[in-house]
Amino acid sequence: MNSTQSSGPAVRIENLDKYYGSFHALRKINLSVKRGERIVVCGPSGSGKSTMIRCINRLEQHNGGRITVLGTELNDDVGNIDEIRREVGMVFQHFNLFPHMTVLENCMIAPMIVRKRPRAEAETTARRYLEKVRIPEQAMKFPGQLSGGQQQRVAIARALCMQPQIMLFDEPTSALDPEMIAEVLDVMVRLASEGMTMICVTHEMGFARRVADRVIFMDAGEIVEEAPPEEFFTSCRNERTRQFLSQVLGH
Amino acid sequence: MVSLLRNQKVRNTLLQVLFVGSLAAMILACVMIARRNLAEQGITSGFDFLFKSTGWDVNFSLLPANANDPYWWFFLIGIINTLFLGTTGLVLATIVGTIVGLARTSSNELARLLGRTYVDIFRNIPLILQVFFWYAVITHLPTPRAAHEAFGMLLTSRGLYVPVPNVGGAALAAAMLAVIAAVALPVWLGRTSRLSQPLGERLGIQLTAAATALASGAVILALGRSPGVPILDFPSLQGLNLKGGLRIPPEFSALAVAIAIYGGSYIAEIVRGGFKAVGKGQMEAALSLGLSPWRVFTLVRLPLALRAMLPILANQYVWLMKATTMGIAVGFTDFFMIVALTINHSGQTLEVIGILMAGFLAINLSLAAVFNRINRAIALKGNQLRG
Ligand SMILES: Nc1ncnc2c1ncn2[C@@H]1O[C@H](COP(=O)(O)OP(=O)(O)OP(=O)(O)O)[C@@H](O)[C@H]1O
Ligand SMILES: [Mg+2]
Repeated sequence: MNSTQSSGPAVRIENLDKYYGSFHALRKINLSVKRGERIVVCGPSGSGKSTMIRCINRLEQHNGGRITVLGTELNDDVGNIDEIRREVGMVFQHFNLFPHMTVLENCMIAPMIVRKRPRAEAETTARRYLEKVRIPEQAMKFPGQLSGGQQQRVAIARALCMQPQIMLFDEPTSALDPEMIAEVLDVMVRLASEGMTMICVTHEMGFARRVADRVIFMDAGEIVEEAPPEEFFTSCRNERTRQFLSQVLGH
Repeated sequence: MVSLLRNQKVRNTLLQVLFVGSLAAMILACVMIARRNLAEQGITSGFDFLFKSTGWDVNFSLLPANANDPYWWFFLIGIINTLFLGTTGLVLATIVGTIVGLARTSSNELARLLGRTYVDIFRNIPLILQVFFWYAVITHLPTPRAAHEAFGMLLTSRGLYVPVPNVGGAALAAAMLAVIAAVALPVWLGRTSRLSQPLGERLGIQLTAAATALASGAVILALGRSPGVPILDFPSLQGLNLKGGLRIPPEFSALAVAIAIYGGSYIAEIVRGGFKAVGKGQMEAALSLGLSPWRVFTLVRLPLALRAMLPILANQYVWLMKATTMGIAVGFTDFFMIVALTINHSGQTLEVIGILMAGFLAINLSLAAVFNRINRAIALKGNQLRG
């Protein structure tokens, strides 16, 4: 069904440049993510974290360098873009559920239309993932009738229903109240333990410590520091990283 | 007793009764004063005139009409003409507005510029001037002998001649009902089977229902046709005149075009607003799931935009419906013009104005009621603030 290779890195980013007009948002980013690897990306606001992960599924178009996802190069070829988007799921800060569809329909629409799954199969899959994110009883409700934490878990289930090989998270908990953050992180931790390749932009350092294989610190459009969590939190070399860490861990 | 008066519910009811009572008394007083004044001038009031023949004719009617017909028949013709003009104008305005509105939201700079120019021009010229302009243009079209022809229609300075089916009135009405059913059934089925049927199956059922309704309409037409003549009566030139078909007078065309173009400029803004109201996030989520841009448009962007525009669109429709009263400016016998003529000929001013107001209220309230129902049916459930 897909021509993507089963070996080699999940994502390879080489010398990535991104401009918004004359503003240089990403400067020569290099990053390689192995299959099954869990990456946490952090950094101050405006440092280009969202821009970078949005380039991976082409919600943003890069201006220089190469991005290869599961062996397929991301370029102007629409076929390549479609192929990559099928295999890369994304979870957004503001959930972005489809408010006019039920939770179940939110989860079934893409598998049915993009993967051409029969209805019954799509529904079984959707219910299985809703179970997995612990809200099977909300299937017939509409997104507007759920709490923020529930909505974000539906958003995760919706992405998982496409059975992607890679999941991107862009600050999935920053729009949530503290008591809901835990329920979303919990789902993410379990996903990580099942071997999903994950790239998460988040400031939840506890999550980073627990599941990340590598933590990446970005500032002003560059990757400044890159290390396993233990090393990252205890002995980071860069002054900016230290400053940032004292801010997020400070309170 | 005193404590009863201090009860909030009792108080409110009492106030209501007092209010309605005094209103009724005022209306009654007005009517009695008017009656006395009219009687002094020798004008009899009442609705008896409705059953007298008018003695004058209308220049356009979808129903048979002549000077011997009673006033009530003419009112009916007027209402049907208004509805005909209104629906034609609204449908055309919606098509124009959708195209211009989409142009204004497109990523193509030229399309955006053209759309903006269109809106700026046509929204800022009074409707009545536009009616006169199109009337002048249409009455300067070629004479019947040099008529433009397209799809069996003839375009001349005397009007637009369109083919009509050679079918009895009852069959025609039944066929029209079938066409309405062909549109309404799929919508209704789509709503009721939303959760119980798969998307693809639902579409199949909807298409079958529409096709069945259309087919039965065609059968009704075929059965109801007048024997021995072709099913469509095409207009054609005979001597100096055009024979056959239905003549749509220039007055009607001018009004319909003006309402379409003027109304289109307002609807374009509503359409643009509707699309702008759709969060970028929902579309990005759809794209990230691998849905094609076309699917993102039909499954996410359009349904959400429609929900945002419908309430405002309903207001605009009611407004445009009232704009059909411009008919009197160029002499199209819409409801308002029939009313004006009736006042001249019968002198029953109060009664006739009452009928006019009741007629427009009925039309616009039903329009609003239909839209309210649709709005309620498709309203997004729950709190939308959280994104
Ligand atoms: N569509 C855009 N047009 C112009 N500039 C943009 C656009 N999107 C982002 N930027 C700029 O690019 C820079 C990086 O933005 P990005 O959203 O990637 O930051 P971020 O690290 O995700 O920040 P945050 O933590 O606030 O989400 C910022 O300076 C931002 O102003
Ligand atoms: Mg961001």
